[in-house]
Order: sequence, then structure tokens, then C-alpha cells
Amino acid sequence: MEANQATPVKYDMEVVRWFTIAAAIYACVGTLIGVYVASELAFPFLNFDLEWITFGRLRPLHTNVVIFAFGGCALMATGFYIVQRTGATKLWSNGLAWATFIGWNLIMVSAVITLPLGWTSGKEYAELEWPIDIAIAVVWLMYGFNYIMTIGIRKTSHIYVSNWFTMGMIVMITYLHVVNSMAIPVSMTNSFSIYSGVQDAMIQWWWGHNAVGFYLTGGFLAIMYYFVPKQAGRPVFSYRLSVLHFWALTFGYVWLGAHHLQYTALPDWTGSLGAAVSLAMIIPSWGGAMNGMMTLSGAWDRLRTDYILRFLVVALAFYAMSTFEGPVMSIKTVNALSHYTDWTVGHVHSGALGWMAMVAYGAMYHMVKKLWGVEKMYSEGLVNVHFWLATIGTVVYVVAMWVSGIMQGLMWRDYDEYGTLTYTFVESVSAMHPYYAMRAVGGLIFNIGTWIALYNIVMTVRTASSARSASAVPANA
Amino acid sequence: MDVQAMTTNDWLGVFFALIAAIGMVVTYVMVFRPSNKQNFEAQSRMALDDEDPIKLGEKR
Repeated sequence: MEANQATPVKYDMEVVRWFTIAAAIYACVGTLIGVYVASELAFPFLNFDLEWITFGRLRPLHTNVVIFAFGGCALMATGFYIVQRTGATKLWSNGLAWATFIGWNLIMVSAVITLPLGWTSGKEYAELEWPIDIAIAVVWLMYGFNYIMTIGIRKTSHIYVSNWFTMGMIVMITYLHVVNSMAIPVSMTNSFSIYSGVQDAMIQWWWGHNAVGFYLTGGFLAIMYYFVPKQAGRPVFSYRLSVLHFWALTFGYVWLGAHHLQYTALPDWTGSLGAAVSLAMIIPSWGGAMNGMMTLSGAWDRLRTDYILRFLVVALAFYAMSTFEGPVMSIKTVNALSHYTDWTVGHVHSGALGWMAMVAYGAMYHMVKKLWGVEKMYSEGLVNVHFWLATIGTVVYVVAMWVSGIMQGLMWRDYDEYGTLTYTFVESVSAMHPYYAMRAVGGLIFNIGTWIALYNIVMTVRTASSARSASAVPANA
Repeated sequence: MDVQAMTTNDWLGVFFALIAAIGMVVTYVMVFRPSNKQNFEAQSRMALDDEDPIKLGEKR
């Protein structure tokens, strides 16, 4: 008899709360380090002749904190949130989820210690040394195993598309991280890649671009496909398109890495293949972006009042823009101008700030209200202020890097009637100065927004806790 | 094409490229088959419906 009664599912949400708060903190720290290293490029005296805070040591710290600490915690928070709710089940192991939280944060602390000390493998987006690489593999597998086992015990018959994107990320990042990090250790703080020469470069960018493809794109698309319908209160515009989006990205993305190595010692055809598949990827990427935007059909008016929805929709606009810009930059003719310039930096940040951070914040605001059981954030006005700071900061940053990068490329390739280069390299560096200052300002604007978000989230949590305590007093009295 | 010059790596590449291509064709056929439309689109509300309490033991 009792088994037929409708019963709300009790979820394991405490670990999700901690991941969410951690993500909000890491976003502040990661972008603050970014602002500092950007300022160092504009004003080199900020190195203060201290080796620990030079650009070369702080830049990988910035990327690690933003991508793996902020992005990782946001992905794990939303992953554990979505898999429970769409599967109508608790986590397979709450204890393993807590071990994942502790392990992931210890890895981030070790990054904060080792990277300024110069302990690095020198592989981009995989700088951490071999003992930490092993720890990453272990903790990531704990996360993945728990996630997949939770899918296994779900009470729903269908596996929602967000879960497919997350599982794709889990499987591919395990494979990519392990293969890319294979190294011969010579001490606890030093190792050498088992690959050499052009093979090392190829493996490096096979990892590098697929970290973008499966982690920063696939993982965050999982967020988009759950939180856009949720926040808009509308069903996904086309579920069939979302399935196609997932499989097209999964089959296609792994071929793209070589487009990072145009005009190098890599065989010419591999770069061409990378560029061709990159261009093909515009179709599913734009299909997915349109799918997300069209989910708002009939609810566009909500953008006037729903600031969280604004984060999600602007994120989709940046997703569409970045997934067009990237393939264009992979074409050899464009790449000849753009490669090694700040245009690449601008492209990466339109994805990281405009897409990844914006969609993560949309999800985090949504989750904070649900997780702490409040109707509204502490200040809806501050959500709006954060939205505009994030949008303006991103645009200022990206425009500065576009102008700077294209100017750089044009200066480097310009030569006079005698075939002599028109500009010295130092002249091109000097010409970058105003844009580097502008980039630091754009980053600072974005960073201020992250602190406002943290304040708003903390105050929402405190307000919710106070309200719960107040309502509990009469009951206990 | 000089088939004799193909290395093991080349053949592996061909194999995985074919698997990916066939996989995409199968996916397109499956997704766009009119008879499958209703099954797929029935899931489009899944994120919205997770607020509903479920009956114990029920498969939603």
C-alpha cells in the first residue's frame, strides 16, 4: 500500500552545495590571478623580480585554477545534481562523492604550491607533475565511477541527454589525461614525456583541443541542456537535435587537435584533416546553440526579468560565436595570420569567459536557490550587476585581443620592397601595450563580477540558514 | 594509393575513421526516422518533470 504513495526522492545534495561554493571561490581566485598576469604583460615591473610570481609561473596557475578548480567544481556540482534529479535517485555512493570533493580540492591546493615553485612538466593545460597527474587520474575515476553507477541505479527508464554529455566527458578525459601525461619520472618534482619531437606535439594538442572539446564544451553542454529548459520553464526545443549534437561532437571532436600545429613539422595532411573536421563541427555546434536558444520560444519576455536566464542565453551566443571562430582560425590561410598571436588568446577567452563561466554561473545561481530552498537570491539586483560586468568584461577582453592579435600578425608578416621585415619583434611588442592594458581592464571588470557573485551566494546561504534556524526554534521549544 | 606502404597505424586510422563515419550515418538514420520522432521528443520535458515526486519502484 505504502509503495504506491508518491514519495519525494531524498537526494545527496550536501556535497553538491560544497562543490558549488568551492566553484564560486575558485572563480574569484582564478580570474584574479589572470588579471595579475595580464597586468604583468602590460606593466612588467609587477614581476618585482620575484621568480614565484613571474608570468611564466603564474600563467599555468591561472589556467589550472580557472579550468580545473572553478570549471571542475562547477562540472562536478552540476553533474551530481543533474544525475540525481533526472534519475530520481540518490548518488550511488555519497562517501565516494565526498572523497572526490576532498581529493579534487587537495589537487588544486597542490597546484597552487607547485606551479609557483616552477615544478612543471611544461605541457600546456597539463602542467602538473607526475605524482599529481596520478592523483588526478584516481580522483577523476572516483567521480566517473560514482556517476556511472548512479546512472545504473536510476529509477527512470531514459538517460537524459545531459548525462550522456557528462559520461562522454568522463570517458574521454580519462583516456586523454592518462595518454597525454605518460612520463618518465626522474624525481618527485621532475619528469620527461615518453613522447618526443613531433609525436609529443601531436599528443599535446590531441589532449589540448579535446580538453576544450569534451571538458569545456561537452561538460558545459550537459549544464546547458538541463538548466536552460529548467530556468526557462520550457521543454528542450528539439530532443532529437540534442541527441545528434552529442554524437556528432563525440565522433568528430577527437580529430581536431592537429589544427593547432599548422605549418609545423607535422605532416601537412594532418593539419588539413584537423581543419576540415573543425569546419564540419560548425554544423552540430550551431545546431546545439540554436536548440538551446529556441528552447526559449514563447518565453523570450522572461529575459527582461530573469537575470539567471540572461547568463544562460548570452553563454549560448558566445558558444555559437566561439564555435564559428575556432574553425575559421583553423583554416591554413587564416591560421598563417592568427597563429602565435593574441587572437588565439581572445578566442580562448570568448569561450572560457563568455561560454563556460556564463553558463556555469547561470547553473550555480539556479542551484543555490534550489539547494538552500529559497525563492530568490539575496539580491536579484546584484545578479544583474554581475551579468553586465561579466558581459562587458568579456567583450572588452576579447575585442582587445582581436585587435592586438590581428595587428601582431600583420606586423610580423610585413616586409618592404627589399624583402626585409618592416618591423622588429620589439616594435610589435611595444605596439601591443595599450591592448594589453585594455585586456587587464576587461579581466578586472569580469573579476569584480565574480566577487559580487560570491558575496551574493554567501549572503543567500546565510539568509536561508538564519530563516531555517528561526523556524526551527518554536519547534524545538 | 599504395596499399603496400600502409603501416599498422595507417590501417588503425582507416578503421577508426570508418567506425566514426558509419556511427554518424547510423545516428542520423536513427534520429531522423519519422517513426522514432515521438519516442525522442517525449524526453524533451524530462528536466522539467524532475520536480514531481515519483512512486516508489516506479520507472518514470
